[in-house]
Amino acid sequence: MYRLDSDFQTTPRRKWGWAGAIRSSLKTGLLGVGLVVAAVTVGRWVGSGQSAPGTAKPGSETNRLPPLPVVAKPIPQQPPTGVAEDRHLDKNPPRETRGLDLVRLGWSYNCMECHRLFPARWHYDRPMNEHQDIRLEHGNNRFCLNCHHPTDRNAFVDYDGSAIAEADVVLLCAKCHGPTYRDWKAGVHGRRNGFWDRQKGTQTQLRCIQCHDPHHPKFQPMPPLPPPTYPPRAAQPPSESRTTAPGVTP
Amino acid sequence: MNNDPGQPQVPRTLEEVFRPQNRRTFLKGAAATVAGMAGLVAALKPLLALERGEITLDDLLQRHYRQLTPGDLQRIMAALETKCQQERGVRPTIRDLKPMDGVEFGYALNLTRCIGCRRCAHACLKENNQSRERPDDIEMSYIRVLELNKGAINLETSNVYYDAAQVPQPDKYYMPVQCHQCRQSPCTKVCPVQATWQEQDGIVVVDYNWCIGCRYCMAACPYDARRFNYKKPALQKEQINPNQDYLSNRIRPKGVVEKCTFCLQRTRDGRYPACLEVCPTGARVFGNLLDPESEIHYVLKNKRVYVLKEEVGTLPRFYYFFDT
Repeated sequence: MYRLDSDFQTTPRRKWGWAGAIRSSLKTGLLGVGLVVAAVTVGRWVGSGQSAPGTAKPGSETNRLPPLPVVAKPIPQQPPTGVAEDRHLDKNPPRETRGLDLVRLGWSYNCMECHRLFPARWHYDRPMNEHQDIRLEHGNNRFCLNCHHPTDRNAFVDYDGSAIAEADVVLLCAKCHGPTYRDWKAGVHGRRNGFWDRQKGTQTQLRCIQCHDPHHPKFQPMPPLPPPTYPPRAAQPPSESRTTAPGVTP
Repeated sequence: MNNDPGQPQVPRTLEEVFRPQNRRTFLKGAAATVAGMAGLVAALKPLLALERGEITLDDLLQRHYRQLTPGDLQRIMAALETKCQQERGVRPTIRDLKPMDGVEFGYALNLTRCIGCRRCAHACLKENNQSRERPDDIEMSYIRVLELNKGAINLETSNVYYDAAQVPQPDKYYMPVQCHQCRQSPCTKVCPVQATWQEQDGIVVVDYNWCIGCRYCMAACPYDARRFNYKKPALQKEQINPNQDYLSNRIRPKGVVEKCTFCLQRTRDGRYPACLEVCPTGARVFGNLLDPESEIHYVLKNKRVYVLKEEVGTLPRFYYFFDT
């Protein structure tokens, strides 16, 4: 069965923290900007003495909702990978997880704080105000509620409508990716770090969303690390592969 | 008898007739003598090094690794630690980890997952104390990542020097090659002094003090898995990994061959090799072939594995596989 390999330290964080401070300062700023704009408009209206052409355009803009300010969410502390003394090796997972274990890490962000007000939205392709950075390209999934629980937004949904806890996200992926889940449990899909010999030490294993963005699961290309230098006095490589090797003088 | 009475009769031997002592023969002999003396001096060069104090008498008379007593080995390793601290400013911990009972190491690599990012080749450098001119000089890394054209496994059109902006490229796939730890290893068979051999757990190791640097093993290896130290290893102080093993990643002397040992200093301690620890796609699978619960056992049982250059009959412990 799936289990977490080790407990990691939780950092208690004040509710709303500095994100809340940013929000409140942004609110104040927006209020100030609005007042200035109103004052300028009123001044122009008073100065020109003509009401109709000056106010028509701003009036139409106020009918649409302004975009919400973007709030920077700090990356939570990542679960450890491997043994701590291997500092000379870069064992960071390809992706930093934002959703996993947020509550366990002391993150006070509760999805239901908003979503008890906003009911579940079934279709993805309607315009959204929040979550605009999410781009859903996961097979033929078009519905948020294929994975997210309709009434408990902190959890995922199983076949029978019951909830899968956020930390058990592997079980959610296993709903469709059975053979991959089987390989992952055997340690063949994904990466294990630490000790191959369980009697000598502990082992950590990366979970699905530490490599795959769940909304866009294809593994992202990355720049390669530098190649070996081509021998300067050797014959040239074959023409089809002589593309961009540095240090090669044609 | 046509003896000239004006000249005295000189008895001539066969030697004088056929090898006359004239200028040409004298120069020939002198050249041969000089060449012989030069060869003798070259052969006695270790004695000069001994005279200068670069090596000790113990180094010179050190026996083969498998003939050393544990006490000898402890003394040698302590001397190596002290020497490293004097020369490079870091005191490493050199151990001599023995093969574990009931363990035979195997490695598998998923070619479907590998994206050719070369993280493994650079991690090998950080772990194994290879010589490097620059921090990212992977010339001596034990891993070569080949870029191959999709559709066939054709090593002749492969490219080691690819440097695209992003990997993987759509029409390519990538195959890292390192020591395969062959069961029928050609490198150990050709070694004239038996400085390289196969251990109980399948790892092919080199006794760096016994190697004479003839590089026969490099010529024999079908996988280009061995590297030669043409000069004294160039290593900065902060680049040295202090976790060292006598047969594996201790800093090599000049003029010896080195190779991948599946990070023996880690794996005989129960840990994963460095190349596996850093692989961002999880393409690498390592484990004990004799343990039916291990990951490598799962791969060999459930996946279709491919052996590189199977036709040369080396029976490697390194497998490639594809999956969906």
